[in-house]
Amino acid sequence: MAESRIRDISQLKPYERKFEWWGPSPEEARKILASKPKGIRDKRMTLKDAVKKFVKDGINLGIGGFVNTRVPIAIVHEIIRQGAKNLTLSFQSQSLTAEYLAGAMILDENHLSIRRAEMAWWAYEVIGLAPLFRYLAQNGMIEIDDYSNYGMAARFKAGAMGVPFLPVRDMGGTDMELTNRGKMIECPFTGKNVYVVPACHPDVGIIHVQGADKYGNCRIFGPYCTCPEIAMASTYTIVTTEKMIAGKAIRQFPNLTEIPFPVVDAIVHQPYGAYPGAVYGFYWFDMAHIRLFRSACEEFRKTGKKDKLEEYYNKYIFECEDHDDFIRKIPPEDLKRARMLDGGQPLLV
Amino acid sequence: MADYNPYEMIAFTGSQVLEDNTIVFVGTGLPIISALHAQMTHAPNLLMIFEAGSLAPILELGLPLSVGDTRAANRACFLKGMCQAFELTQRGIADYAFIGGAQIDMYGNVNSTIIGDDYTRPKVRFPGSGGAGAMAASCERTIVIMPLEKRRFVERVDFITSIGFGDGSPDYRERAGVMGAGPYRVITHQALFGYDKRTRRMMLLEVAPGLTPEDIQDKVGFELIIPKEVKTMQEPSAEDLKLLREIDPEGYFLKRRIEE
Repeated sequence: MAESRIRDISQLKPYERKFEWWGPSPEEARKILASKPKGIRDKRMTLKDAVKKFVKDGINLGIGGFVNTRVPIAIVHEIIRQGAKNLTLSFQSQSLTAEYLAGAMILDENHLSIRRAEMAWWAYEVIGLAPLFRYLAQNGMIEIDDYSNYGMAARFKAGAMGVPFLPVRDMGGTDMELTNRGKMIECPFTGKNVYVVPACHPDVGIIHVQGADKYGNCRIFGPYCTCPEIAMASTYTIVTTEKMIAGKAIRQFPNLTEIPFPVVDAIVHQPYGAYPGAVYGFYWFDMAHIRLFRSACEEFRKTGKKDKLEEYYNKYIFECEDHDDFIRKIPPEDLKRARMLDGGQPLLV
Repeated sequence: MADYNPYEMIAFTGSQVLEDNTIVFVGTGLPIISALHAQMTHAPNLLMIFEAGSLAPILELGLPLSVGDTRAANRACFLKGMCQAFELTQRGIADYAFIGGAQIDMYGNVNSTIIGDDYTRPKVRFPGSGGAGAMAASCERTIVIMPLEKRRFVERVDFITSIGFGDGSPDYRERAGVMGAGPYRVITHQALFGYDKRTRRMMLLEVAPGLTPEDIQDKVGFELIIPKEVKTMQEPSAEDLKLLREIDPEGYFLKRRIEE
């Protein structure tokens, strides 16, 4: 069997993870997409209805964006309001979205719970480590499958391509080779070792974009992260958009469509849909609000007290009818500062 | 002599290591500060690539605080996604990986995943690989930034997240299926390290003024290769410090402290 020499130097206790798909298999994912009606139709709905229709207990939830960039906060808040149990999370690098879900689990695991996460990174960059991730991981409360950011990107890309795996040039020779669900194989062409990672097909992909038409054609500006791949790999995709684009404009510049209509199931017009995260061309992230939330999480991790966490969730999530209601609670000057800090990047929406 | 703090020394040394006409794959914080300083001084044609998807942006809106940040995408030449950034890197466009981590060993393997030996129940859980694992594998040369502390420079890292020279055998990286040449420099506030070509072990190259190679060895949990001639690290000039502090005026990264 092809293998690197990692076993000779690894300090980990022996660990074997049986391979299984943590969501639909490539065949199941293909069948679901193939069986959908393909005609161009209006896919607008309320976020409430979209989450109710697609987000079920036990699903694999593919979270778009990167750390605090174009993160689907409005969708995550709505999932928390409605509740969902035994979720598998799949993502690249996340901060707020994953911590919001983790906090909901800590407050009431009969309402929302995370079973496992397949991911590359979970923290806040300059703002610090993710307290709730630490808490859940160090207490063995969630199962984790670690990849590099390219590892996860290649897994979503394999899903988007309709192939069961992709070869990559990293993770071999590291402890991820011993712990994650990728495998070292001998390349049939070069005869050399090459690491392969299984496709990742979320049951539901959640994505926030700058512009989309009502049929689901989406434009993305700034870094794409892996949003197009996640949308194409998922069996169902919910998209929130800062702006609605007229269908005519989409057909005028089809090159600008990064997510095409057949892979989108729900379109929700949701300004500030990534706040307190950032959306290139619209607003930068709101560091003060992120710190407010993070400090409630950190207090729980340090003291076990849930008051601050509860207070935050009640005020900003449970007592909000929807995301617009949440945004109304944010001081207008904070929103204005977030818009100014973006620097007004040029967009075509 | 100008008065500077440890992270200013690290950022300045990082700048000195980067050559002109190259591409550096940067993560948040000090790598960006080093690259910007290099661009403003000795390496005007040094270019950056960010994992969220931007290539050769012009960082004129302020220091990016996230690699997916608007500021890190500003006026890029090519702005796509994570797949494109890493695939170009696998293809060979990135000369340097510039990464951090919690622990490093003598062969340049880096841990940013867990402390402990039980993957399912770690003593400490760190954020994970992020881009670092792919950068250390696929960029041509890996530069690691780490405060010089004994708990970080260890005989064996608890978890290899970013590949170095593995066990030091000449074909470790090839058998692992990775393409980049591997570890190149380790930058700390008190010493600059490289690697011995023959053994692939970490080697002391330079020490900070006032310190001896023995001082450095005392802070490292494995035996360093110490050549006969060890240079003194160049210190940032008043002009360098001014530039660095203009790059990070809030001191998000430069004003952090290192426990002695």
